[in-house]
Amino acid sequence: MPMLRYFLRRLLLLIPVLLGVSVVIFSIVHLAPGDPAEVMLGPSATQEDIANLREQLGLNRPLYVQYGAFLGNALRGDLGRSMRSNAPVVEEIMDRFPATLTLAVLGMAFAIGIGLPLGLLAALKQNTWIDALCSFVALAGFSIPNFWIALMLMLLFSIYIPILPSSGIDSWKNLVMPTIVLGVQTMAVIARMTRSSMLEVIRQDYVRTARAKGISDRLVLTRHILSNVMIPVVTIAGLYFGHSLGGVVVTETVFSIPGLGRLIVDAIRSHDYPVVQGGVLFFALCVGVVNLLVDMLYAALDPRIKAQYRAAR
Amino acid sequence: MKVSRAILMVSALLLILSPAALASELRIAQVADIASMDPQKVNDVYSANVIRQVYSNLVQVDENMQIIPDLAESWENPDNLSWVFHLRRGVAFHNGEPVTAADVKFTFDRLKDPSTAAPGATHLKEVKSVEVIDDHTVKLVTARPYAPMLMSLSRYETAILNRKAVEEAGADYGSKVAVGCGPYRFTSWSRGDKVILERYDEYFGGPAKIDRLVYRGIPEDATRLIELESGGIDLIPANFPYAEFVNFQGNKGFKTYTCPAMATNYLGLDVAVKPLDNKLARQAINYAVDKQAIVDAVYFGLGMPARGPLSPVIWGFDPNRGDAYPYNPEKARELLAEAGLADGFDMTIFCDARTERTSTAELIQAYLADIGVRASIELMEWSALLSETAKGIGGGFLLGWTGTGDADGGLVPIIHSANIGSSNRFRYSNKNLDDLLDRGGAELDQDARLKIYAEAQELIVDECPLLFLAVQEITAASSKSVEGFRPYPNFIPPLHGVSLSE
Repeated sequence: MPMLRYFLRRLLLLIPVLLGVSVVIFSIVHLAPGDPAEVMLGPSATQEDIANLREQLGLNRPLYVQYGAFLGNALRGDLGRSMRSNAPVVEEIMDRFPATLTLAVLGMAFAIGIGLPLGLLAALKQNTWIDALCSFVALAGFSIPNFWIALMLMLLFSIYIPILPSSGIDSWKNLVMPTIVLGVQTMAVIARMTRSSMLEVIRQDYVRTARAKGISDRLVLTRHILSNVMIPVVTIAGLYFGHSLGGVVVTETVFSIPGLGRLIVDAIRSHDYPVVQGGVLFFALCVGVVNLLVDMLYAALDPRIKAQYRAAR
Repeated sequence: MKVSRAILMVSALLLILSPAALASELRIAQVADIASMDPQKVNDVYSANVIRQVYSNLVQVDENMQIIPDLAESWENPDNLSWVFHLRRGVAFHNGEPVTAADVKFTFDRLKDPSTAAPGATHLKEVKSVEVIDDHTVKLVTARPYAPMLMSLSRYETAILNRKAVEEAGADYGSKVAVGCGPYRFTSWSRGDKVILERYDEYFGGPAKIDRLVYRGIPEDATRLIELESGGIDLIPANFPYAEFVNFQGNKGFKTYTCPAMATNYLGLDVAVKPLDNKLARQAINYAVDKQAIVDAVYFGLGMPARGPLSPVIWGFDPNRGDAYPYNPEKARELLAEAGLADGFDMTIFCDARTERTSTAELIQAYLADIGVRASIELMEWSALLSETAKGIGGGFLLGWTGTGDADGGLVPIIHSANIGSSNRFRYSNKNLDDLLDRGGAELDQDARLKIYAEAQELIVDECPLLFLAVQEITAASSKSVEGFRPYPNFIPPLHGVSLSE
């Protein structure tokens, strides 16, 4: 019950966050130099054409009126229509969201699936060549810009050994390279985090006690060590999920994946206000929800935190 | 016995090679996905490319930008305000509806309707009314004699729509539904990814040779090239990156194509401020810059110095024109001295942040420094650059002008004094030039028009409210199996005649 109450309270707290985001993004979009009517009509437009289109798009109304209208509609789940394609923004977002979500989840799965074992291995074989190798991979993964990794992967797997397509989203094969590119940085962070967390945990008294009781190494590792190692790792993974949603923009552009990141970038370029506003707001919602889920998971992993909720009640 | 076995084997073979297996598909990569399939909602060349395959116009242009018949078999001018078009008979839209004069009227009325907010409405600005004479005859009446009418009607923005399809689809028109009468029918569009078109067998120009076209938007240059190299796509119809093009030209596995673009790139000069109001100073700027060097450095040699305000592929370009201002820094210094500016002057060059534009600006800056003109460069966001220059930016600005394919569209918007405050960004005003342009726009005799525009070009080059820079090449490439592709100066090649060899 306290968990549920905590969850609901956090959910309510998302509302002011989203309100804040909506104000910020609305202001940025409208205060940035440039005008959608101007972009849509191109260099040959007369002042009259531009004025006419601005009127059609409702851009001549005072800013607070436009914001009010935007907010009012948004609360009813209507984010307006794209100025560029005239399609409802919600539809545009929902068209693109599955690709982004798939990519983000796969990227995170890759990051944890590789990063966690890498970190554990490095810690268990501390100060050996294996440790050095794992640390090197982690450092490289973090330092190399991901668009460069993307191009190198494409050269390797699309041209020299042509087994993977370099763009589009027609089959699972299309997702292999983008997953690696999106996940590699998070993978590196998780590997390093796991290693240092692991090194700390295995020196703890409770681990020594468990060993002294004669529990098998395997059981010590899974029951006593791993669950404690996971706490900081989950935190980092959660934080980086938001980060990797940002990375989606690069990945989607390089691999031509029709996702949310590319939608927003294209919209920014053509000053398509409703799509930028709606897209960013939606991103903010995603990050908020993921953070919330991570906090829940955190509580599930750490009895001390669960106890705190009880105390706070 | 033997014969029947042979028949069996042949039929089995035919079954294996059934139409599904044989369906030919051309995969095309553009820089961006389309914005809409509604010709009246777009003004980007990527949408235009797909629209070109699906819709027909009253008239079209060929690869030399000459007008050719399309839906209209013939036309005439009963008087200098009226255009009567005779439509082909027996033509049907992809939904089976016949193409009638009523559809033409509906199309043009919708384009002109302010509530459509069509970016392309400007192309029919001079049209006062559209009258249906009979099912296959339609009459356009203009407010004043308007010579470039046919060029306007060849634009993708004026493609003919089917009234029934548009009205039935409502807000979904252009995203889920698009009905034309061109060689390919719109099948599906997955937003941000690709558009699929299937051949329309009843096309009045005869069925296309390829069964299916897939247009994809691939924004990254490198990814587009890798896709072509790895066989993921067959054709890049334009915007092939210059830096890589030279390598591809020598590559035996691919075909490359070039043709001059309709656009002229220039450094506009705001003549409303000193010392750019002085013709001698403007001429000095023109002489000071080595355009060929810019073509070589910035466009990897894929272009040519501009010979005036119009690209050679625009109708009305005066073929007798040589280079507008051959590189001559000596002469430039003399002109500056003559203008009383021997010590040079300060100016600002405004441009957007594209590498091609910033490198051009830097080269111009260096050439100007050579004659004592101290130029600083200021980068601006694209739409801000457009709106600031429309108001008058007080310096030089790097832009390109594509126009419509006709000298009228190539000159009037950018230099007629009526457009000061919007597209005449030079804020240049000259009564004689206005008169010439007005006459050229109203003269229906094309030969007489050519003479008028030759005179106008002479005058503009002499007055030079802009530094004439370069005309770029359009660069395209395809796999070896693509036959019959030709790039078009307007960036919008029709693919009706393209085929795939084994």
